[in-house]
Amino acid sequence: MFNLITSYLILGAILFSIGLYGALSKKNAVIILLSIELMLNAVNLNLIAFSKLGVNPSLTGQIFSLFNITVAAAEAAVGIAILIALYRNRGTSEVTDMDLMKH
Amino acid sequence: MESVFTHYAWLIPLLPLIAFLILISGGRQMKESGAYIGILLTLGAFILSILVLSERLNGNAVDYSWNNFEWIKIGDFSFSMGFEVTNLNALMLVIVTFVSLLVNIYSKAYMHDDERISVFFSYVALFTFSMLGLVISENLIELYIFWELVGVCSFLLVGFWYFKPEAKAAAKKAFIVTRIGDVGLFLAILVLFWHMPGHYMDFNSIHNAIQENQLSDGILTLVALLIFVGAMGKSGQFPLHTWLPDAMEGPTPISALIHAATMVAAGVYLVARTFVIFLESPVALDVVAYVGGFTAIFAATIAITQTDLKRVLAYSTVSQLGYMMMALGLGTWGSYSAGIFHLFTHAFFKALLFLAAGSVIHAIMKQNIHEMGGLASKMKVTAWTFAIGALALSGIAPLSGFWSKDAILTEAYASNPLLFYVGLITAFFTAFYMARLFFLVFMGKPRSAYSAHESPSAMTVPLIILAVLAVVAGFIFMPTMPWLGEWLTGEELHEHTNWTVIVLSNLVGLLGILLGWAMYLKQSVPSDLLSKRLPWIYQLSYRKYYIDELYQYIIIRPLRALGDGLQLFDHYVVDGSVRLTSHTVVQLGKFGARLQNGQLQNYGLITLLGFIVIAAIIMGRRFL
Amino acid sequence: MLNNMLAFLSSGENISFMLFSILIIGGAVYMISFTRVIHMVISLAFTFVSLAGLYVLLEAEFVAFVQILIYAGAISILMIFGIMMTKHGSEEEIQPARLLHNILLLAGSLGFFGIIAYAISKAEFPQAGTFNAGEDNTRAVGELLYTQHVIPFELVSVLLTVAFIGAIILAKKEEE
Repeated sequence: MFNLITSYLILGAILFSIGLYGALSKKNAVIILLSIELMLNAVNLNLIAFSKLGVNPSLTGQIFSLFNITVAAAEAAVGIAILIALYRNRGTSEVTDMDLMKH
Repeated sequence: MESVFTHYAWLIPLLPLIAFLILISGGRQMKESGAYIGILLTLGAFILSILVLSERLNGNAVDYSWNNFEWIKIGDFSFSMGFEVTNLNALMLVIVTFVSLLVNIYSKAYMHDDERISVFFSYVALFTFSMLGLVISENLIELYIFWELVGVCSFLLVGFWYFKPEAKAAAKKAFIVTRIGDVGLFLAILVLFWHMPGHYMDFNSIHNAIQENQLSDGILTLVALLIFVGAMGKSGQFPLHTWLPDAMEGPTPISALIHAATMVAAGVYLVARTFVIFLESPVALDVVAYVGGFTAIFAATIAITQTDLKRVLAYSTVSQLGYMMMALGLGTWGSYSAGIFHLFTHAFFKALLFLAAGSVIHAIMKQNIHEMGGLASKMKVTAWTFAIGALALSGIAPLSGFWSKDAILTEAYASNPLLFYVGLITAFFTAFYMARLFFLVFMGKPRSAYSAHESPSAMTVPLIILAVLAVVAGFIFMPTMPWLGEWLTGEELHEHTNWTVIVLSNLVGLLGILLGWAMYLKQSVPSDLLSKRLPWIYQLSYRKYYIDELYQYIIIRPLRALGDGLQLFDHYVVDGSVRLTSHTVVQLGKFGARLQNGQLQNYGLITLLGFIVIAAIIMGRRFL
Repeated sequence: MLNNMLAFLSSGENISFMLFSILIIGGAVYMISFTRVIHMVISLAFTFVSLAGLYVLLEAEFVAFVQILIYAGAISILMIFGIMMTKHGSEEEIQPARLLHNILLLAGSLGFFGIIAYAISKAEFPQAGTFNAGEDNTRAVGELLYTQHVIPFELVSVLLTVAFIGAIILAKKEEE
C-alpha cells in the first residue's frame, strides 16, 4: 500500500485540492493567483514523481515540469499586471466585486 | 318586346356603389361636388329602374334571373350569386331609387352647412346600393349579405352626428335591436339550407321545392317564423320596434329614406319575397297578422301623445308597417298585393311627411311640436305638401293612402273581422294624431319665438313631386281595377268593392281629423281631456307603454350584470391565469439570470460540483 | 498497518519524504487559514521550498533549483509586490457570509480529493525500468532541452517574451 509513487501522488492530490479550495474561496485576487500556483506545483510534483518512479522513467518529466514552471511564471506576471490595471480602474482587488459580465 | 334592360338590371345597384367608391376615395374635400355625384348616379339608377319597370309592365314578362357568378365551390356543391327581376322587385327598384334620388336632392340643401357632407352622401350611396342589392338578390344568402349591409348603413347614418350622445346611443340601439332580428333570419337561412334538397337557396328553387312538397310542414313553419323574426327586427314590429323612434336622432333625410320608405320596408319585402313559405304555414301567417295588427294599433296609441315631431312620424311608420304585415298575414294573394300596395304608397307619403318635417326643423331648429304653431303662413309649400301627406296617411279619399288602406281593410273585412276592427281603430288614431300634428305645427299662433322661412327649392321641389305622387299613386290599384294585384301576383283576383269598408274608413278618418281640429285648433274640446281624466292612460302612452324601461330592467340590467360578472371572471380568472403564467416565466428567467451573477468563484464551484457528479457517475458505473 | 508505517519510516528517504510532506501540507494549510495576506504568501513560500526538497529526493536537482529561484524567489516576491500595489484599507482578508458557498466548496474539494485518491489507490504502477538522472542532472536536462525539445523550448521563449511585453503594457499607467 505504501508504494512510494502512491504517496507522491496522494501528496499532489492534497496540494491540488487545497489550491482548489483556496482559488474558489478566497476573495483577494492575489491569493487566488497564489492558489493557482499551488495547483500548478501539485502538477509539477506529479510530473517529477512519474519521471523517476513511473512506468518508463526518463528525464522528459523534468523537462515538462520546467516548461510548466515557465508558463506558470508568465501567467503570474500577466495575472498580477491585470490585477493592477483592474485595481487602478475599479479601486478593488476582490473578485466578488469583479462581476461586470453578469446578465 | 325584348327585355333588354332587364338583362342590365345589375347595373342599378352598381351605379350607387360607384358613387360610394368615388366619394369615399375623394375624401372630405369634395364637399358640394360630392352631392352632385350622388345625385347624378342615383338618377342614372332611377332611369334604369324605370326602364326595367316599363318592360315588366308590358304584358306577361317572365321573371328573369341570372346566377352564373360562382361564388363558392366545395366539392360538388357550388354556390352561385346573381340577380333576379320579378314584378315585385322591379316595383321595389323604382321605389328605392326614386325616394333615394329625391332624398339626395333634398339633402344637398338640408346638409348644406355640414362639414362632412360628402361623407353623408357616400353613406347614402352605400345604403342605396345595399338596398337595391337586397331587392334584386337572387338567393337568400345574397339577400342576407345586403340585409346586413343596410343595417350597417342605418347604423352609420343614425350615428352620423356622432358627437351627440343621443345619436350615438340611438345608433347602437338600432344596430343591436335589429341584430336580434337578423339572428332570426340567419337561423331561418341555416334551417332552410339544411333541409333544402341540393342546398339550393335561390327563391325559384325554394318555390319549386315547396310546390313539390319536399319540405315538411314543421320545418316550413319554423323557417317562416324565423324569417318573420328577421322582418320584425328590420321593420320595427312589436316587440323589436323600440329602435325605430330612437333612430330619429339621425339627419331627417335619412329618417325619410331609411326609416320610413325603404329599409324598414325591407322586412315587409322579405316576407313578401318568401310569401310562398308563409302560405304553407297557417300558424306563421297568423303570427304575422296578429303581430302586425297589434303593432299597428299599439304604435298608433303611442303616436298620439308624443311631442317630438319626428317621433310622432316614427311611431306612425311603425304603425303603418304593422298594417302591411297584417295585410300579408291575412294570407291571400289579394291581401298580399294590398300589403305591397300599401308599402308602395306609404313610401311616397311617409317620405313626404318626413321631408316636410325636415323642412320645418331646418327652418326653426326645433322639434317639439308644442313650441311650434302658425307655420303655414310662412312656409306655404311645406304646409300644403305636409297636409297632403297627412291626408294621404289618414286615408281620406281619393288620396293614395286611402286606396291602399282600403285594400287592406277590405281584405281584413273578408277574412278576419277582429283585425278589421283593429285596422279601423288604428285608422282613426292615425287620422287623429296626424291632425294633431298638422294643427299644432302649422295652424294657430306661434308658441315660441322663431323666425321661419320657406326652405330652398332643392328641398321644396322633392316635396312637391312627392305630394303629387301621394295624391295619384293610389289610382293604379283601385278596387274596380285590380290589375296591379294581378300583375304582382300573377293570380286572378276577385274584385271586391266593399262600400261598407270604403265609407267606414273614410268616416273614421274624418272623425279623427275632426277630433284633432276640435281639440287643437278650435279648442272646443279641451286638449288635456285625457290627461286630466285618466292620467295613467295618458302616461302609459306618453311613456310608450314603458317598453324601453321594461327592456332596461328585464334584459339590459341582467345582461349588464352578467357582463360585469363575466368581466370580473375575465379580469381575475382568465387574465389572472395569463398573468400567473407570464409571471412564472419571468420569475424563472430572473432566477436563471441570478445564477448568471458574474461571480467567478460561483461558476468555478458549480463546475467543480458538476465534475464530481460526472466522475461519480462514471465511477459508479464500474460497480454496476 | 503500524508495522507498515514503521517499515516505511525505516528508510531515510522515506523519513525525509515525510518531513517535506508535512512542511508542504502545513504551508498550504496555513496559506488557507491565515488572515493576513502577507502571511499567506510567506507560508506558501515554505511550501515551494519544501517542494524543492522533494524534487531533490526525486533526483531532479535542476528542477529543484529552478523551483527555489522561480517560485520561492520570483513569484513570491511578485505576489508581495502585487499585494502592496493593490493594498487598500485593511490588509485583512475579511470573510464575508458566504456560508453555503463555503460548505459546498469544502464538500466539493473533499469529494474531488476523494475521487483522485480512489483512482490513485486503485491504479497500479509497475516499475519497468530504472531511472537514470544522468551524472550531471543539469547537463542532462540541458542537452535534452537543446536537442529533443528544442522547438517547445523556443516556443516557450516566445511565450515569455509576449507575456512580459503584455504585462508591461497592462500594468503601465494609461496615458491621459
